Amino acid sequence: MTVHSVELADTAVGPARRARGWNASLVVGGLIVGLLIVMALLSFVWTPHDPTLVNAAARLQQPSAEYWFGTDKFGRDVFSQIMVGSQTALFVGIVAVGVAALVGVPLGIVGGMGSRWVGETLMRFNDLLLAFPALLLAIMFAAVYGGSTLVAMVAIGIASIPNFARLVRSGTLQVMRTEYVLAARAAGRHPFGIGLRHVLPNVSGLVIVQMSVGFAIAVLAEAALSFLGFGTPPPTPTWGRMLQASQELLWEAPRLAVFPGVAIAVAVLGFNMLGDGLRDYLDPKLEDRR
Amino acid sequence: MSHMRKAAVALTAIAAMSLAACSAGSTESGKGSDSSQGAANASLNIGLTAEPASLDFTKNDGAAIPQALLYNVYETLVKVDQKGKIVPALAKSWDVSSDRKTYAFQLVDDAKFSNGKPFTAKDAKFSIDRVKSDWTISLKSAMDQVDEVSVKNPTTLVVKLKQPSNDWLYRMTTRIGAMFSRTGVDPLATKPVGTGPYEFSKWKRGDSITLTRNDDYWGDKPHFKNITLKYFKDPTAENNALLSGTIDVIGTVQSPDSLGQFENNSKYQIIEGTTNGEVVLSFNNKSGPLQNKKLRQAIKHGINHKALLDTCWAGKGKLVGSMVPPTDPWYEDLTDRYPHDTAKAKQLIRQSGESGKTLRLRLPNLPYATACGQVVKSQLEQLGLKVKLDQLEFPAAWLNTVFNSADYDMSIIAHVEPRDMAAVFGDPKYYTGYGKPALRSLLQKADQGTPEEQVTYMKQAAEMLADDAAADWLFVQPNLIVADKDITGLPKNAISESFDFTHLGQS
Amino acid sequence: MLLRLLRRTAVFLASLFVSSIAVFTFMAVLPGDPARVTLGVNASDSAVQQLRDEFGLDRPLVSQYASWVHGLVTFRLGDSYVSNAAIGPQIADRFQVTLWLVVTGMVIAVLIAVPVGTVMAIRHRRLSGVLLSGLSQVGVAVPAFLAGILLITVFAVRLRWLPANGWTPPVVDPGMFLKQLVLPAFSLGIVQGAVLTRYVRSAVLDVLREDYLRTARAKGLRPGQALVRHGLRNAAIPVVTMLALQLATLLIGAVVVERVFVIPGLGSLLLDSVANRDLIMIQDVVMVLVVAVLLVNFLVDLLYIAIDPRLRAGAS
Repeated sequence: MTVHSVELADTAVGPARRARGWNASLVVGGLIVGLLIVMALLSFVWTPHDPTLVNAAARLQQPSAEYWFGTDKFGRDVFSQIMVGSQTALFVGIVAVGVAALVGVPLGIVGGMGSRWVGETLMRFNDLLLAFPALLLAIMFAAVYGGSTLVAMVAIGIASIPNFARLVRSGTLQVMRTEYVLAARAAGRHPFGIGLRHVLPNVSGLVIVQMSVGFAIAVLAEAALSFLGFGTPPPTPTWGRMLQASQELLWEAPRLAVFPGVAIAVAVLGFNMLGDGLRDYLDPKLEDRR
Repeated sequence: MSHMRKAAVALTAIAAMSLAACSAGSTESGKGSDSSQGAANASLNIGLTAEPASLDFTKNDGAAIPQALLYNVYETLVKVDQKGKIVPALAKSWDVSSDRKTYAFQLVDDAKFSNGKPFTAKDAKFSIDRVKSDWTISLKSAMDQVDEVSVKNPTTLVVKLKQPSNDWLYRMTTRIGAMFSRTGVDPLATKPVGTGPYEFSKWKRGDSITLTRNDDYWGDKPHFKNITLKYFKDPTAENNALLSGTIDVIGTVQSPDSLGQFENNSKYQIIEGTTNGEVVLSFNNKSGPLQNKKLRQAIKHGINHKALLDTCWAGKGKLVGSMVPPTDPWYEDLTDRYPHDTAKAKQLIRQSGESGKTLRLRLPNLPYATACGQVVKSQLEQLGLKVKLDQLEFPAAWLNTVFNSADYDMSIIAHVEPRDMAAVFGDPKYYTGYGKPALRSLLQKADQGTPEEQVTYMKQAAEMLADDAAADWLFVQPNLIVADKDITGLPKNAISESFDFTHLGQS
Repeated sequence: MLLRLLRRTAVFLASLFVSSIAVFTFMAVLPGDPARVTLGVNASDSAVQQLRDEFGLDRPLVSQYASWVHGLVTFRLGDSYVSNAAIGPQIADRFQVTLWLVVTGMVIAVLIAVPVGTVMAIRHRRLSGVLLSGLSQVGVAVPAFLAGILLITVFAVRLRWLPANGWTPPVVDPGMFLKQLVLPAFSLGIVQGAVLTRYVRSAVLDVLREDYLRTARAKGLRPGQALVRHGLRNAAIPVVTMLALQLATLLIGAVVVERVFVIPGLGSLLLDSVANRDLIMIQDVVMVLVVAVLLVNFLVDLLYIAIDPRLRAGAS
């Protein structure tokens, strides 16, 4: 997952451009993400069963009209857990992406607009942060602050700051060379105003693409951390822990691994495709970089 | 009151701590063992869950060290058999004086340490004295009973106690009774020297420990030439290792739900017995809402123990109702003291006046605690109680928060030390915060009385604990072993600190 | 160029210094007393205090930091709190294990990614390219440990072709070493391969749009031929950079796969040390991982300075 951040950050500035027209990535990715959001919102008000209610009598049931995805070894409804798990998936994304964007975007803009020295320093700081891969940072944070979703995701967010900062800085450097910014600077506009009026709107496309990709990274990270036992504590359902817990029953009830496994893969796929689609969609608005 | 603490606790879980590290050693591993090499050279691979952090159980508290070394590498004067009875080992016999304060041991005369030195009464005195002088772990306090150790002749050792103690001889079957060579205690952490049927051979840190048969052993020589203990953190990986033939035995099953894949398979045998490990839902008796006895009683009535055992531990294990495992002589089934009764539980909660409080259930991140904790939380919430579940990393974070600071309301931990009632509930400073004087006086009378009186007083103590709702006893851990069909001599019950390899064989 | 080299080296050293302070500060706030953990649950306060003195836990932080850094620089890492065993050889040993795993995994990843990514780029407007692209998306979306569990279930438990887990050093038993390496290396390789594939695709697409390739194609070369003759070297630079970074971050990223396959690597050592509050060990392992990334970054930059004429010219 640590590695994805490097790669995905780059695809966002990469040139993968498809023919304009029907944008399959955007549509499919958007649908999956939309479904995820609807499922998470719905689960706040309704799930078929209480996802944490232990019921010895309903242990390890096959999927049925009553339990659509069957039940786990505690007799809890798997479908309800998958639904509520989507809350965690979105929550980890929001926290990690939020931290990374809130810190990384201003850093990138300042790095791009400031003097060469400021830019260089910020990039060195960035490199330093890159030396702490997300998983390492998350393990260290969990050791100090205990395992919780929030702690893990702040760690993932911090580790993702360089992705945003680097991307936004390169975008800013381009914007700073455009004629309207040169004109605004010549007119003596305050740099802060330029940043807000001209730079931010122009890099926002890049940021949105990176945010979508950041969601995918966060979902994968949460799954890995839950698997290692550093994620959200039970009984709050998360897909990563469901997958981890399913292992001991892999022989008798492989479905317990299938549902959360598919949920993780589909969610990550959705965010990545949405990112791809958005990039293709937004690309023409960005200055041609070649 | 020092005797109160002699039954110090080692938590099973501590065993789980240890995957400490690797070392230079791991590059010089042995050949993979091959059990088809014929009887003289047969090897056995046993999967276990917790790797020791060090091999020195005089300074490290992990249960994994005696599990591997006691009775196998180190021997004791006396040991416990499968029924919990004390039987001869390095001592052929022993006499107890009429005031029950003096023990005269007759030692075997042909035992030799793996460094070539003979075992004599001088080594026995050295070992016992050394507990007081050099050991650092808390268990050493069991030797505080000893007044004087003297060597009559090379095969006769006399130990005088300060006062009669039933418990002392029992403790001599545990690690503190291990016999060391006068010239073989350096370095204990990496090179154990004992008189046992196996010698320590090599340690691939982070992976396995190998023991090799001691061909000069004074007693019956064991069947397997090499026994390799492979350590798995993840129960599923351990199962897979057995299924794919990497190991021959799963020594302690950590995921009873996964037994299904072995149950209807003629290639494997499943052994189910009992252990000393009481899985305790411990209450903080000293501070917080659970000082209120009504609330503690409500929780005990509110938990459906049968349903809990069925869901979180696949129905394996035994419901007991107090701090006594079924193999102890004073065991009584006390589960009827608090039958499952939600109406009564709710009524008790109302009477307690604590209904609005949030109870903090702080768990170590161990498989049984995580599983049972979720059930406890769900069941208590159905009574209308609020429960906040925290998962603490074991061992460090749990020890720090729950054990040392008693910053908790409820926790779940398996107390695996044999006969550990006094250690867990006899000391008000212990994390359970119990240690009421009435209980302490019962325990003292039990220790100093005749064996018959011991049984009577221990029964009374167990009943007192149950009635006073000092804790809730969820179940006693089962001893679950899965092995290839042809392995014989696997212990049915795990009631000593040791995983005894001496009787293992092949059919 | 020399100036650039010197400046880059200075930055590298400064990064090492700053990160060592960050790691040390972080460890100082770690809850849980290593002395208490070592001695066990019933240890007396005086015994704990004695061990704290022995470990030097009550010394001022600055002095603790100084002796730690001194140890790092002189490669004398001291002994672990918990096992009393020397730390240096343990880390070296675990590092080796993880390196085998990660390097093999990356080789598999490259073997998948370079051909597939190139085809994807060349055919990016055709159905086959789009299908491959979709497949790589799915590969990126699968967590490596899920891939590992699936591989174990199929090839070890059901088919019994390969051991489910474990590790044997190559010098001890090369056959066993290879057998045990296959599944974990593939778990890493497939997922990392999918990630890298997308990177290769994007790099090749970049190159395909370059003028010299358009010229070559105008002269009648097919896209594949043009690419092989003129473009691969240029496409290789970003891919190799990515590969190096992937390798460095995978040293810790492999921890999940190490856990699934019970491999005694660096990540497992870190997790165990965290659980045991083996403070010095944690510090040292984290530092080794951080240094690995910084060093790879540094080397990649040096490589850039050396091979890229444009970069050599100093245009930033």
